[in-house]
Amino acid sequence: MTRLTLPSSLAGRPLYLLARESFYPALSLLLAALTLTFATVGELKALAEWHWTDVLAEGGMALLVGVWLVYVRGSRPAGRVTTWLVLGLAAMLVGEWVDALDEVWRLPKAMAWDNALEALTPLGMLALTVGLHFWRQEQRVLGRQLAQRERFFRDHRAVDRVTQLADAGYMAGQIQLERDLDRPGCVLMLGLDGFDRLTREQGTRAADHALEAASLTLMLNLRPCDLLCRYAGDRFVVLLPGCGVAEGACLADELKAALAQLNFNGREGRRLRLPVRATLRTTAGAQPPEQLLLDLLQAL
Amino acid sequence: MTLQAQLDARLPLGLGGNDAGLPHYEIDTACLPVADHAALLAQFAHDRSVDLGWPEQPLISPRELIALLSPLREAGADSAFALGQLLLPGHYGLASQALLQAGSLVDMLQSLCRHAGRLTPLLTPRLLVDEQELILVWTDACGLPAGLRGFIVDLHMSAVASLCAWRAGGRLPWRFSFDRTAPRDRAQHAVHLGTALHFGCQVDAMRLHRCEADLQWPGAPGVAATALARHADPQALRRGLLASVGDRLLRQLAEPPSLEVLAAEFGMSPATFKRRLARHGTHYQAEVDRVRAHVAVYLLGPRGQGRDAVAQALGYFDGANFRRSFKRWTGMAPGAWALG
Repeated sequence: MTRLTLPSSLAGRPLYLLARESFYPALSLLLAALTLTFATVGELKALAEWHWTDVLAEGGMALLVGVWLVYVRGSRPAGRVTTWLVLGLAAMLVGEWVDALDEVWRLPKAMAWDNALEALTPLGMLALTVGLHFWRQEQRVLGRQLAQRERFFRDHRAVDRVTQLADAGYMAGQIQLERDLDRPGCVLMLGLDGFDRLTREQGTRAADHALEAASLTLMLNLRPCDLLCRYAGDRFVVLLPGCGVAEGACLADELKAALAQLNFNGREGRRLRLPVRATLRTTAGAQPPEQLLLDLLQAL
Repeated sequence: MTLQAQLDARLPLGLGGNDAGLPHYEIDTACLPVADHAALLAQFAHDRSVDLGWPEQPLISPRELIALLSPLREAGADSAFALGQLLLPGHYGLASQALLQAGSLVDMLQSLCRHAGRLTPLLTPRLLVDEQELILVWTDACGLPAGLRGFIVDLHMSAVASLCAWRAGGRLPWRFSFDRTAPRDRAQHAVHLGTALHFGCQVDAMRLHRCEADLQWPGAPGVAATALARHADPQALRRGLLASVGDRLLRQLAEPPSLEVLAAEFGMSPATFKRRLARHGTHYQAEVDRVRAHVAVYLLGPRGQGRDAVAQALGYFDGANFRRSFKRWTGMAPGAWALG
């Protein structure tokens, strides 16, 4: 019974969880201890001796490395990549901090430990590089997962909350790119008939869930090189690069059939299927991509 | 027929609110039950995983309602439209029921305009029906922050378009005019409202040709409208301060009442009235100009009247004076507007 619940006392926790939770307190403690040591052992330099540029540059670097550390740690899940990145940045932070303290207090000549601590900066850089290397590997795996959602170019502002697909603006940019490359290709727009009614009767959550299901269904039926975006509402757009009209029409029929098979939750627990519409155009043409998409919408 | 008589005939409800003899509501008047719009917003925020505080009092003010709407802009690019689909008829008691009991499009829109205090307390719709078309103009009930105006207008337009599509069993060919510059991406507007979108129009309005507006559906005749007319739900008939001022100015276009007269009619001293308007982000001259600009845009555009005729109708001595004023309101010459 108790195996499934997380232990509440610190003592019983696995070591890595404990290390993760006490990371910031330990780091702050270390930095404070170093400052205290400098203040007690060292001799405060007279203001005239301070090299202001050095104080500002080295203090500023320590501060910025600290900011990077907080950002990286805050935005990444735990794991090997994060461990290397965080350890690297933490080592750099300690090294830079000692370097900055050096400018304010003078330690007795006999003491060499501060020089050893300053060597943490290059070591940290090394660890950071190792982390970046692993990150690159991780990104390749993630890139494969995102293959049909984005191509070459990433813009997180374009990603829709509900379906995790990019938006109409992203699609317009990619159509323009295909034109610039002078490649043939098609754009396909798909929509569900009567989706507004479903939203009105079932509410936002059911409608969002239906759209998520539709987007996953489309994704499963696409080729790896295709790009799927959510135009708006229940309208999806697919970019089919290097695809002629005949082939595109064939793909459109397949996608329509796949979407038409999808069951949505209807009123009183009934399952309902919605009719699907699709229109297809070639990417070629003189009109702006945004207008091409509006024309597709109107023809739907 | 004078312009005033024509407008009085065509705007049956634009002037309706004050006739009920009820006091207007202001931006800080706590008059909106939490069970109405706030509950709907809370449900939507919950469905989209957005944090939304729940008001502590059972009645909130329009300002508090606006504050609840603000974080919902982050609930997805389509949030104004997705929320709009749920806004009407809504669960607002008799006023919602009256919408459902209306047996035709015009009846339903009239009911919406008449009971705007309950159904759409932030924006007051005004219905204008002439020989050629039906126009639903959205005007401020008690002022909106500039940054939220577009979102709230989209919300209301999508609410009405979606309600009409639902009742009529299919989307109506509305044409939309927006008093703002075109967004970077029109995809959301195009999918949810339709592709007939016009930006930079001086007025937020939805238009339908008369022949397309002649829609009837099997209504469920009921007593909701009658009960509302007998003040069963006074808030439904109340008007926001700015809507109320607009009602008054529309009644006397050629010679707008002075600030002092207006203040006296609202039962305040001129200084208090000025302060109240300032609290709603506006002032006397801006309101006079806004109403005149709306009427001028309507007369020059859909009505196709000449500059001099419009100048005369609005009480200007000559066309040149009107031309200068119009340029100040819209940044365009009246002639350019008529052609556009």
